[in-house]
Amino acid sequence: MLEVLQGVVEVLTKYAPLLAEGLKNTLLVTVASFVIGFALGLPLSVVRMYGLPPLKALVTVYVELIRGTPLMLQLFLVYYALPTLGIALSPLQAAILALGLNSAAYQAEYFRTAMGSIPRGQWGAALGIGLSMSAAVRHVVIPQVLRIAVPMLTNEAIYLLKYSSIASLITVPELLYMSRIITSRTFMYVQVYAFLGLTYVMIGSVIAKLMRRVETIIAVPGLTVSHSRSLM
Amino acid sequence: MAKEVLKVVDLRKKLGGREVLKGVTLTVREGETKVIIGPSGAGKSTLLRCINLLLRPDSGKVFLDGKEVTAPGVDPVKVRQRIGFVFQSFNLFLHMTALENVLIVLTKVKKLPMCEALRIAKEALQSVGIGEEHWGKYPAQLSGGQQQRVAIARALAMEPRIILLDEPTSALDPELIVEVMQVLENLSKKGVTMLVVTHELGFAAKAADSVVFMDDGQIIEEGPPEEILLSPRNPRVASFITRLWELYDIKDTLTSRER
Amino acid sequence: MRATKLRRGESMLELDIILRYAPLILSGFLNTLVMTVSGIGLGLALGAALAFAEVLGPKPLQMVVSTVTHIIRGIPLLVLLLLVFYGLPSFGLRLPPLPTAVLAIGIRSAAYQSQIFRSTIEAVGSAQLEAAYASGMDKLTAFRSVVLPQALRLSMPGLVNEFTIVLKDTSMAYVIGVTEMFTQAVHVAQVTLDYLAPFTLAALMYLLTCLTVSTVANRLYRRFSIPGLGTG
Repeated sequence: MLEVLQGVVEVLTKYAPLLAEGLKNTLLVTVASFVIGFALGLPLSVVRMYGLPPLKALVTVYVELIRGTPLMLQLFLVYYALPTLGIALSPLQAAILALGLNSAAYQAEYFRTAMGSIPRGQWGAALGIGLSMSAAVRHVVIPQVLRIAVPMLTNEAIYLLKYSSIASLITVPELLYMSRIITSRTFMYVQVYAFLGLTYVMIGSVIAKLMRRVETIIAVPGLTVSHSRSLM
Repeated sequence: MAKEVLKVVDLRKKLGGREVLKGVTLTVREGETKVIIGPSGAGKSTLLRCINLLLRPDSGKVFLDGKEVTAPGVDPVKVRQRIGFVFQSFNLFLHMTALENVLIVLTKVKKLPMCEALRIAKEALQSVGIGEEHWGKYPAQLSGGQQQRVAIARALAMEPRIILLDEPTSALDPELIVEVMQVLENLSKKGVTMLVVTHELGFAAKAADSVVFMDDGQIIEEGPPEEILLSPRNPRVASFITRLWELYDIKDTLTSRER
Repeated sequence: MRATKLRRGESMLELDIILRYAPLILSGFLNTLVMTVSGIGLGLALGAALAFAEVLGPKPLQMVVSTVTHIIRGIPLLVLLLLVFYGLPSFGLRLPPLPTAVLAIGIRSAAYQSQIFRSTIEAVGSAQLEAAYASGMDKLTAFRSVVLPQALRLSMPGLVNEFTIVLKDTSMAYVIGVTEMFTQAVHVAQVTLDYLAPFTLAALMYLLTCLTVSTVANRLYRRFSIPGLGTG
């Protein structure tokens, strides 16, 4: 038992630079795709809730297409099929774009759920004091939606972290990709993958903790959802 | 004198560090309807839950038909099969119809064959005034009063030695209280042994054989209804009863004005 | 693998390619379904047991179950697949890729399903349990006759969602060489150098399955709904 542990520590120390590079790329893919998903998801949700019917339908189709197909497939399409349309992306760019577009659909749904939970009276009050529809969305609805959606966004960030591992399949040098290099050299499959699995669990916990801090910073009394314990 | 069905001796219970029962002793005889009144927080609900062992008393004894049920080794499940319980919030099983709610205790607990269980369940429902047209309805489709009557039927069907009722009308709208109280009065007349926690002084006056006043985890006074309700000796009891009567009078005045 | 530039500018969906290779992709669909159904089935059996242990078991067991399921949920499925694939032989167990994938997918689904059940069991509430006890039921009868039927109904939406997630995630079995639909689509793409057609066909199949399952489930849900229980 002790020998095995020593062996693992040895290997991990030897390949630490590789793993560090992998960690960097994993975090890069996770954070960048989350940001893209957020930047696209919020406007998409507004359109789906309050937009013109044809636009609404378009967004609905997009969301359902993304949510009804595997992310693996979306990633391969972006990386291998986009070049046939004249758009060639590097593996890292392709991964970030695919995960970002995917996340946009899910985040749009989260925001839509959050919008649905805002009491009608808020709308009445906003319009009643003379705000225009778009001003009401910007100044009254969205500030509340963002706060309500934080736990769901935490979930989404952790999902992205875990799904970023599929970027290894299109040769993005992230954590799993690096681990596969290590196992192919050392044959310590179980040890390395077990360590890798726990690493993801730990990063997930850190994300959850950070998001909870965000939640307390932006918290307004009376506007928090009861904390779901299903954070992962 | 009729024989003792339930006997509680020096029952004590702490909940969350607070002493909720501080040594309660009482007896219920065969066919007797005993009413417990008292302010909220007096420990009435806790007392009932300790009697059917939904809560374990810290000390003291509970006897059912002369046998101690709080003794080590006694299976609480078996004890509860002989004690009916009616909750303030009805607690019908939400995924079952009115009929199924009564049936399940007969088939799953008493293990009766279906045809016999059906006969008993239907009888029990009829006896609380739940007609055939309601048997297939789910709790959410019944009024509060109907739900509580089904709950009473569920307790009755087990043919328990005694039924404990925990504020059976407190969750009901005023117009539904009467129908439930009527059912309880009938049961009382039929000689069903009952221990009822309630604020309905009218029921106590009409149906109780004896009334117990509880406050702060203790029994303060006990006696026949006319004595406790009209001329209590203890000043605390007197002030509580007076306030309740006043409420009643106001209610009566108002209802007579409406008409 | 990335010789797609050849096809730049050509028509996107070529009928003859689809017709020629469709049977290959559709044959993979069978394995996709097998993995999904058995993975969900395994997850259901394991998940229900775990939930029972986590809600009604002794305190130490509750702690163990909640920690283990938390860890499993935090590991990317891709890593879990590799861990089981390389880990089983070191326990002296050699399984073909398909059962290996079912095992990994089932274990992960169990961790999620236990969470679904746990929350719905808690939603059924202590009042129902108390009423069951007061009617003279023992713990097991109360769980089987009162809590479980209600919890299962409340779990339906969560389980349907879980089914579509598992369906999509079976595509990750690609990494251990299961010939499921996504893998077949990749193979066809590599042979024909056309990525768009095979992936579109696979995407359609995933979409159709998701749609069918949720429609059927919705109808069942309505059929077996009980007034006042859940949203039914």
